[in-house]
Amino acid sequence: MAVSSGGFVGKVLRVDLSTGKITTENTRERYAALLGGAGIGYRVLWDEVPAGTGPFDAANKLVFATGPLVGTSVPCNGRATITTLFPTCWPKPLVGSGHMGGHFAAKLKYAGYDALIVEGKADKPVWLMIRNARVEIRDARHLWGSGIRRTTLAISQELGPDCVVAAIGQAGENLAPMGMVINSVSHSAGGVGGVMGGKNLKAVAVQGSGAVRIAGDKAAWEALVKFHLSILGANNQHVVPSFPTPQAEYYNPASRWVGQPGKRWGAAKPPVELAGNIHDPNSIAFRTNSAVYFLGDEAWKYTVRGNGCTACPIRCHTMLKMPSVTAKYGIPDMGQNTCVALMFGRSFFKQLAGKKNNEAAMEACMVGMHLADDLGLWSNYGQLQRDLRKLYEGGYLKAKLGSKEYASIPWDKYDSADPAFLLDLIPRIANRQGELGDVLSRGTGAIFDHWSIPESAWAKDHTTTYWKMGHPKHHANEDDGQCGVIINTQYNRDAQCHSHTNFVRNGLPLEVQKKLAAAIWGSPDALDAPGDYTPANVHKAQRAKWSLLRKELHDALGVCNWMGPWAASPLRERGYAGDDSLESKFLSLATGQTMDREELDRVAERIFTLHRALTIRDMGRVDMRAAHDIVPPWVFEDPSGKAALTKGTIRMDPADIAKAMDYFYEAMGWDKATGAPSQARYAELGLADVGETLAAAKLTPEAAK
Amino acid sequence: MNKDRSISSEWIERAAKASGWEAALTRRGFLKLSGCALAGLAFLNLGEAYGENAPLVILDSAQGVILADPTRCVACGRCELACTEYNDGRAQPSLARIKIARAVNFGLAGPTGGEAMHGDWGDGLVVQGVCRQCPHPVPCATACPQNAIIADPQTGARVVDAAQCLGCRLCQQACPWGMIAFDEQAGVAAKCTLCHGRPKCVEACPAAALRYVPWRDLSRDGSPTRPTLSVVPPETAKACLDCHVTAGTKSAKEP
Repeated sequence: MAVSSGGFVGKVLRVDLSTGKITTENTRERYAALLGGAGIGYRVLWDEVPAGTGPFDAANKLVFATGPLVGTSVPCNGRATITTLFPTCWPKPLVGSGHMGGHFAAKLKYAGYDALIVEGKADKPVWLMIRNARVEIRDARHLWGSGIRRTTLAISQELGPDCVVAAIGQAGENLAPMGMVINSVSHSAGGVGGVMGGKNLKAVAVQGSGAVRIAGDKAAWEALVKFHLSILGANNQHVVPSFPTPQAEYYNPASRWVGQPGKRWGAAKPPVELAGNIHDPNSIAFRTNSAVYFLGDEAWKYTVRGNGCTACPIRCHTMLKMPSVTAKYGIPDMGQNTCVALMFGRSFFKQLAGKKNNEAAMEACMVGMHLADDLGLWSNYGQLQRDLRKLYEGGYLKAKLGSKEYASIPWDKYDSADPAFLLDLIPRIANRQGELGDVLSRGTGAIFDHWSIPESAWAKDHTTTYWKMGHPKHHANEDDGQCGVIINTQYNRDAQCHSHTNFVRNGLPLEVQKKLAAAIWGSPDALDAPGDYTPANVHKAQRAKWSLLRKELHDALGVCNWMGPWAASPLRERGYAGDDSLESKFLSLATGQTMDREELDRVAERIFTLHRALTIRDMGRVDMRAAHDIVPPWVFEDPSGKAALTKGTIRMDPADIAKAMDYFYEAMGWDKATGAPSQARYAELGLADVGETLAAAKLTPEAAK
Repeated sequence: MNKDRSISSEWIERAAKASGWEAALTRRGFLKLSGCALAGLAFLNLGEAYGENAPLVILDSAQGVILADPTRCVACGRCELACTEYNDGRAQPSLARIKIARAVNFGLAGPTGGEAMHGDWGDGLVVQGVCRQCPHPVPCATACPQNAIIADPQTGARVVDAAQCLGCRLCQQACPWGMIAFDEQAGVAAKCTLCHGRPKCVEACPAAALRYVPWRDLSRDGSPTRPTLSVVPPETAKACLDCHVTAGTKSAKEP
């Protein structure tokens, strides 16, 4: 078949595990208006999964979707979005997405598929084999009970060493809502592992030899990629180094650009010295070292190299080799991950959480990664660890857990911050063993349900960083005042949005940021310095909207919202400006169909609004503002009693946040009273059918009156 | 349409001067070569004189070669993508003339398990596959019944003349390092061309794991279990006998 355009590879693969039926559909015909990522996922859930379906029901679907830029050399692509009814969403599962990088997404494209829809439920454990046009459901009974590493090895022996395996571990097999799926060692999507387990789907393995065509001019494409590389910073698009250097005008110790000349990947054989010009495009991979950023400078000596996703020059999954852990804990000396999953083990311990340059903390991280990424246990953005700490330190476990079970847990090891404690705890959760293991495997909501602990006990305690619906904050008021708060009200899990924080934390001085903000969001008042907040205004709400839409857009294109958007750059000669229309330029060249920034943002708004519609439909209520867009009480308090909106506190003011929400709903064109779109608003965004359905169910603001 | 494949005297003189070539052959005892013999060959225009159109595949050494440092490779695959996107207008690692994807997960030995396993699931090492731009006898060129693998006049890179290639894949069989890609869309073989002396992969590497350096013979490294020449079609093998004479005998073709 002749390829008529680029970017998309043309087909969506659909596998019904109940019947064994394997079909394909045309991506553009069915899903072009939603690009990819969660756009396809939300549409499938809207069209095919009725309200009231449970996450582990055969009727729930799993949509693994890439995007038109996946598999190309666009920097920081390689993302897959997995959309489903999210099992950790509490008190009622609602639509949500897990996201994973690694090499799965690109392989799926090379195999010829923009997305994969898994439906039904197999009658015995199976794995899905995808080799270009050949797709088979294969027996996985021999793999059931195996960890992710062994599963990956066994499937790779069967399919070939260049396949990419996305597998669940024991947590997913046990239908743990906290189960995750992992590909390429450490690239995980939280919350969806149990849904796979519920379908008896142990793994999806993909091998592909096809192409993603670039429809536009080759030379123009190459030039645009090189331009993008020139405006890249380090992880999270931090655009200034963390160290002073004559090579840069500014530096900021909080920056994730830690690759200072003179440092070295100490565990490489032989070690690799960082040297030369930090702006050199051939040394971008050395800028980021997540282990050093999170665990401290000591991690340089354990660094083998950077690792990460297909085509991304920012290698945020740092590969570590720490020989001491083999002798002490009987685990391999290699480990890799980034951010919260890198700190998985350390964060359980009161004494080790956040500790840098501490050997026990680093060893705990190695033990945590080893277990969590094999058993397939998710951290819910660190909420699992904060939950355990609060349950234990707060005396809840002693009071609620049976004495026999309580005594069976090696709390002495916990008290002495011995990483060996994790060898007991993490398998206990993944295997849903005992009361503690089972409750923690179900997520934070289960703690409230099972032990009759009021949600407010968490929501009032700022140390939990609990936000709502069973999930924590994710870059909220600690980073970005009202903008962060607005963003954290919108999703049914922790907000996976980085558009806002990547700008405010980019390391540039505030005056430079404000200058850039004026150009993009119409006013320098669109942002404040973290912890020095001014009252809400329209421009902040505009920036919140922009942030959310860019997040959805990035998921839909398959580029990384942990890295993008690229609104700022390290380039002094550009006044540190990035390029806010980069996404549309790439998409236009890839597909050969010109789409400007505004048009593309409209597609993103369509996707985001469809998420809203699904949430409204499945909650069966329209008053989102009161019932869904909740801000926890701790946000409005300060441990030292500082007044809201004063320098040195992240405390927000309730009336001011109410105003911020007003501005936001206005920016979205939603009803201010309910925070819901009108039927007309759906229609304006190309979702007329969605608006009609909701209006008929009295789930639009005007129909509900 | 067949191009004139006869050997020019200029070619042979350049071949004789090429670094390492003469010495390597002499050392291996395959052939006693002298400038005089070469001149004689050139004078007689023997490439065509043998009457069977048996090609005498002697290519001048390339000017440069891509060196890959596995300890710096970060497994992003940007080299593979630069190779195919900027040269072919499509992102397709299977078509790339530098090979990373096959070594990323487990290293070249595959998912064997154990301590020796490389790649992301092993010790982290990613051994890149790069074309050596082999000296004579160039395995891929020698294997080609069409003589479609020729030296690029600018860089000396061994390149596939797509107009001549029939897609028989013998070159893929012949390359000891598995460096010949196959363009399924066009039905022809594809291999590293050194991008007119500015390799796109080298430019694209974010970890400076690739360098473009003056050519040296890297064809003697690699797996000792693999023959240097896996496949030599009979037509080409006949031509080899012109120079590779059994000890103590004289070539039938020699005057």
